[in-house]
Amino acid sequence: MPAAPLFGRRLTRGLWVLLILLCWEGLARLSASAFVIAAPSQILHYSATHADLLWRAFLTTLWAAARGFFWGNLAGVTLALVAVLLPRSERLLSTLALLVFCLPLVATGPILRVLYGPGDGPQVTLAALAVYYTTFLPVLVGLRAVPQGWRDLVRSYGRGGLTLLREVRLPAALPYAVAGLQIAAPAAFLGAMVGEFTGAERGLGVLTVRAMRALDLPATWSIAVIAAGASVAAFSTIGALGRRLDLAPPEVLLAAPVARARNRWEGPAHAALATLAVLMLWQGTMDAFGLPPFFAKRPGDVWDYLVTDAAARARLWDALAETLSMAVPGYLCGLAAGAGLAMLLVLAPRLSAATLPLAIALRSVPIVATAPLIVWALGRGGAGTVTVVAMMIFFPTLVACRHGLARTPRAVLDVFAVYAASPLRRLLGAQLAAMLPAFFASARMAIPAAILAVTTAEWLATGRGIGALMATVASTSDYNMLWSAITLIGLAAVLAHALVFALERWVLARTNPEQLIR
Amino acid sequence: MDRREGLARDITLEGVAKIFGTQGRLVEAVAPTDLVLKAGTTTALVGPSGCGKSTLLRLIAGLDLPTEGRITIGAETPAEMRGRAGLAVAFQDPALLPWRTVAGNVALGRSLARMPRDAAAVAELIRLVGLEGFEDRRPAELSGGMRQRAAIARALAGLPELLLLDEPFGAVDELTRDRLNAELPPLWEARGATAVLVTHSISEAVRLSDRILVMTPRPARIAADITVTLPRGEARDPASEAFRKTCAQVLAALREHQLPDSIAAQ
Repeated sequence: MPAAPLFGRRLTRGLWVLLILLCWEGLARLSASAFVIAAPSQILHYSATHADLLWRAFLTTLWAAARGFFWGNLAGVTLALVAVLLPRSERLLSTLALLVFCLPLVATGPILRVLYGPGDGPQVTLAALAVYYTTFLPVLVGLRAVPQGWRDLVRSYGRGGLTLLREVRLPAALPYAVAGLQIAAPAAFLGAMVGEFTGAERGLGVLTVRAMRALDLPATWSIAVIAAGASVAAFSTIGALGRRLDLAPPEVLLAAPVARARNRWEGPAHAALATLAVLMLWQGTMDAFGLPPFFAKRPGDVWDYLVTDAAARARLWDALAETLSMAVPGYLCGLAAGAGLAMLLVLAPRLSAATLPLAIALRSVPIVATAPLIVWALGRGGAGTVTVVAMMIFFPTLVACRHGLARTPRAVLDVFAVYAASPLRRLLGAQLAAMLPAFFASARMAIPAAILAVTTAEWLATGRGIGALMATVASTSDYNMLWSAITLIGLAAVLAHALVFALERWVLARTNPEQLIR
Repeated sequence: MDRREGLARDITLEGVAKIFGTQGRLVEAVAPTDLVLKAGTTTALVGPSGCGKSTLLRLIAGLDLPTEGRITIGAETPAEMRGRAGLAVAFQDPALLPWRTVAGNVALGRSLARMPRDAAAVAELIRLVGLEGFEDRRPAELSGGMRQRAAIARALAGLPELLLLDEPFGAVDELTRDRLNAELPPLWEARGATAVLVTHSISEAVRLSDRILVMTPRPARIAADITVTLPRGEARDPASEAFRKTCAQVLAALREHQLPDSIAAQ
């Protein structure tokens, strides 16, 4: 098929958008009684009549998100540099960074609100917390993705680590950094909005909460559309900037090389060390800043509370069980759907051209901002929450898996082509193995995302599970319970991570031994 | 221009051996070796694949440390020599930086050697390795042979006293190889630099070197030490009877030591 001229392609694309809008409008009108979908015309009308309000709220959120974006990425890049320059610190730093990233924004929000008082401190901090890890990880991978030959080259001239950093590591990490920043842009917007949920004065998050309480469908939809639009715009702008820099796309997207355990004690020893570091950091920062014990509970407080109060323990377990019963199926569905569609698109490449731009655009939509809409649409039962979690994970997994599939070595594909192997055969024989590292990297990254999605959906929409529990106890100043819930969520996240990690090592050792580094 | 002219010194290996240990298994890569490589000469290491030639080269460069024995270059250790950018390596894998152009990669050889920028010198080297017109291309746009040529230009760019070449022309086509074999050696020979060359090609070894060391299969030890008495440079004619005789001598030495000691002893 000859390439359509540019104008023709734009026309086709425009027609598609028009068609989608028309379907949306029709669907909304048909289901008007169900009170779930706002029609584009309603959204347009609401936005036009409340343009001033929305614009001011948007600017407030944008400003908080921009500052969080800056500080979070600065922290991410700094952490990655420290981890590379002091290799011994890397595992501990990675673990701590992951743990902090797994702390649910829903819980850190109220605590930050108490710490900061009024103002936009919590929004900026949450935006920073939402982005630093997705920058830290790819930059670290980029800094380390340096073949032995490049190191030898620098060494053969008697030059040291700094030259290696300047001439090799930093340029090699640049495309990874751009990929990280791209993902960070929507995440910062999302973090700022979640921060605003927790009692800010202004911003899109405040409007969302207000609109939802009033069951104002057009308002909720308008805000979601604005948030999505801003995120897609930021995502595309950074992508375009990266292309302007003429960077080669990164070799691996987010796939941190998997370290092979040196002996059987290394894993447990490392876990013990990390636990100790977390406890010391927790206690230490609170003591150092002299935070009042009333709301800043120390590890000892949480332990005492959980050991002595059986009722509280039961309440917490119930909430956690409820949350896990939503998060685990959603997590698995999201991964399966993402990987499944990626593989399907390889078998049907024509479909891929149509769906991929859409998937990439949707990946940058802050799903959580639309969580209330999804839960409204699917009801407050399990389906809504599971869908929110699955959607949150689906798009990044799809994009990562497509990336992995595309990395199948050319020569291997040629071998399959020479024997006229069927696309299915080629997928199972060659491409699947190339996809696995990206899939597992995505599965690890999806754990914090799943926690964020499930707790936010519970908090904003269903009123059940640990997300709702944290919101309730935060508002009643039951800080013992709040800190216990945070601790439990953190533990669950780390355990899930360890589980996925172990599975990853087990599978990759059989399919992609080159991915395991000593 | 040649600030390092006549600085080269003898390379001395005293009882140098290398044993690799991976996961409890010890592999002897280089058997204890005593050797002196004269300053200003070109030595070729030939031997079967995987015999430890490249390891020996890495030991001389100080990129790996010998398990036993010591290596000195004049009064210096390899590490000290690297410290003042006295040596350069053209690796088997060209290891070009993908984000730099050909010119940028060659210029890197100068800047890593702490030499001032010199666009004219870089352009001249690129011309000599036959990459004229490709200065602004990235490595991904080049063929394997072109990448190797760029890597050789980079190694030459820092005007090293000691040049270590690890199968530098492995992926270069026969015609280009022939031309490079004629045009490149004068670049270091004229400066009096020392060169050590690992190659699979007997005729290349005879063409380029003053001395050929035939290595046994792993662990590498010197099976034959052949001095090439042919005239240097253009006068060394591959079609000549003397040239073919030397080639036959190297081939015979290689054949004689094909088998590892353990099998040969039976």
